[in-house]
Amino acid sequence: MALLKRLIDWIDVRIGAREVVAKELTGYLLPRNINTWYSMGSILLFIFAMQVATGILLLIYYVPDADKAFKSVTFIMNEVPFGWLIRLCHTVGSSLMVLVLFFHMLSVLFMNSYKSPRELNWLTGFILFTMVQGISLTGYLLPWSQLSFWATTVATNSVGAIPAVGQYLVEFLRGGKLVGPPTLGRFFALHVALIPAVIAALVGAHLFFLQRTGVSTPPFGQKETANQWKGDGYHYENHPGGIPFFPVYAFEDVRSIFIYLACFLGVVFFFPNLLFTRDAFIPANPLLTPAHIKPEWYFLANYQTLKLFPSEFLGLAVQGVAMTFLALLPFIDRGPERHPLKRPLFMVCALGGLLLWIGLGVWGHYS
Amino acid sequence: MRCRETVIHVTGRVFALVSPLIVALLTLPAAAAEPPEIVCIQCHGSMPGRIGEPVKLWKGSIHAENGVACNACHGGDPKDAANAMSPARGFLGAPKETAIPAFCGRCHVGVMKDYLASAHGKALGKGGPTCVTCHGNHQVVKATLDLINEKSCSRCHSYERARLIRAAMQETEGMIVAIDTRIAAYKGEGTDTEGLEKGLFAVRNRFHTLFHNVDVEMVKKESAGIQGYLKKIRDQLTALDNSHKKRKLAGAGGITAMLLLALFAHLLRKTYD
Amino acid sequence: MENSGRRTFLGLCLGGLAAAAAAAAAWPVYRYLSPRSTATTAARVDIPEKDVPEGEAKFFELGGASAVLVRKPGGGLIALSAVCTHMGCIVQWEKDKLDFLCPCHGGHYTAEGAVISGPPPKPLAKLPFTVANGVITVG
Repeated sequence: MALLKRLIDWIDVRIGAREVVAKELTGYLLPRNINTWYSMGSILLFIFAMQVATGILLLIYYVPDADKAFKSVTFIMNEVPFGWLIRLCHTVGSSLMVLVLFFHMLSVLFMNSYKSPRELNWLTGFILFTMVQGISLTGYLLPWSQLSFWATTVATNSVGAIPAVGQYLVEFLRGGKLVGPPTLGRFFALHVALIPAVIAALVGAHLFFLQRTGVSTPPFGQKETANQWKGDGYHYENHPGGIPFFPVYAFEDVRSIFIYLACFLGVVFFFPNLLFTRDAFIPANPLLTPAHIKPEWYFLANYQTLKLFPSEFLGLAVQGVAMTFLALLPFIDRGPERHPLKRPLFMVCALGGLLLWIGLGVWGHYS
Repeated sequence: MRCRETVIHVTGRVFALVSPLIVALLTLPAAAAEPPEIVCIQCHGSMPGRIGEPVKLWKGSIHAENGVACNACHGGDPKDAANAMSPARGFLGAPKETAIPAFCGRCHVGVMKDYLASAHGKALGKGGPTCVTCHGNHQVVKATLDLINEKSCSRCHSYERARLIRAAMQETEGMIVAIDTRIAAYKGEGTDTEGLEKGLFAVRNRFHTLFHNVDVEMVKKESAGIQGYLKKIRDQLTALDNSHKKRKLAGAGGITAMLLLALFAHLLRKTYD
Repeated sequence: MENSGRRTFLGLCLGGLAAAAAAAAAWPVYRYLSPRSTATTAARVDIPEKDVPEGEAKFFELGGASAVLVRKPGGGLIALSAVCTHMGCIVQWEKDKLDFLCPCHGGHYTAEGAVISGPPPKPLAKLPFTVANGVITVG
């Protein structure tokens, strides 16, 4: 113990570590009425770290070559000791990351935490969301199975609906007229190098904004729920008399992460094929389109929307408008009220939108 | 000989698409060169009656499933509509009755040998059955024991002997079907079943040549050896079952540990209230 | 004070179990990264030289798979896997043509195992062997 104290002292006199701990951990106070939904971000950080770790492990045996990719994944799943576990952790983790990301965004939406001065938190978060979609889409192709090949064909094809430049964009995206070995090369580079770096940078920015603005107060159980910020100057939202982040809320974060891990392991060990179809275990064949190719669950609503509109362009445009609207939500929704029950119109729109998204997804799944 | 070479060349190319059983072979570079639709199907597919019928029948066949197309058997040039049926391009058309076993036997070599040595084969051209009598022609499906049935056999002779052969083969066939189902289930879960499938295919093939012997004693004798091989495959499957059970057990332990950790964190959080 | 005792106990439980879980998670990663053992149980088979006369082939089991020894006219010996590379059937020796034929789909191989025709994607695998004192040792 004495040795530990001396080590800490040694570090402290050099970098002032105790001051940082006092300010950012034990002295970092959170609102007393904070709830579990505020730990979604911690879960997401944990998942991202897991994805990076399992991804690096997969890189050891994966071969990004159209002739060898499928075999290398089969080799990982069958020959390498615990390769199946590492790979399942990565695939299941990617899907659950999107799910937890939805929870995170929905809780921010319904607690109206995106409102000024937190526009930048929402915006970086929203870009992170599209980046996670991008890393999921590019990663989906890498096993070079029938499922990945044709899901990528369908997904990249929809870009062609953009007038004038659409066809060229599709070709540019694929690195050729059709999905093929060049597509694998560029998707691999995006998946393992570019997008992870962008995500890491955006996470940094997201956390920086959180640190500068301070944690928002949940609107529940408060007398005054209107947004107090006037926009007249920088103001750190502190919470005097609140609960310290460390150790109190840290335990809540840890609890959430372990509950997540229990669910995650449940899928990995008991429903490992929840996210796979038979086509996931057949090597890609550019000349044989399998029946019933569907995108991943989180793209089903987009997929169904594209099918609903008479022209692909219209379907794409509607989605573009919806995404832009959501990205700019804090700039559009400027009312000060933050309690969801005091905002019936907002609640109807938000719940309606959510139900529409789920409905489209279910429809897409069964269509 | 020229015809034979052409056919073998074409067969080699077409075969590259291979059965969904042995999917790993799909990665053969030759598969990429295979045209999606051959001219034979483009013309005949839209023709009415007898001349278009084979396309429809073929589409439901094991040959279609494995990418063995018209030209693999009938020769000709599937890429050149004008000369597709030119004998100069190796077109063979439909074989005469006595030529049928040799026609099919270009690929099914072992089966042809067994057939020719059997009572069925010796009666070829004298009212005896050819391959298509039992297997059908264009809609040929995966051979099973069901091909031996009273209705089919009694077209020519009494069912008596056939019934004995069928009974002798029943047990082994049942084993093969059961193993096949189990392998398919594992394959659907991403297990690399290529070795198991190849093993089963070879045993099934050895077993199916017995069908053509029409010799009850021989069937009984051979079945024992074949069942030995099948048991080996079954043991491998059982080993897979066990390792999957172990995984589930480890998973249950992991989940319990995570829930306990969550509980400890929750209780620790509570001590600060 | 009671609270602090409770805290210490729960902290030990959480820390201990978390350490155990981390160790349990490290084990698969260690195994995943460990060098793979390449030692296969390659059984050796001894065959008397007189069993393989010129132009004949001798089939035998080697390490759980079928193998074949061929002596070409002139005396050259070749040891091959007898498993067809197409779908795993056992090839047959055609004495008159001095080549291998797979009975399942008509794949042809030379006596050296190279593919002549038919669906096999790869040649038959060559097996190492030595000859000493009239005995051929394969494997």
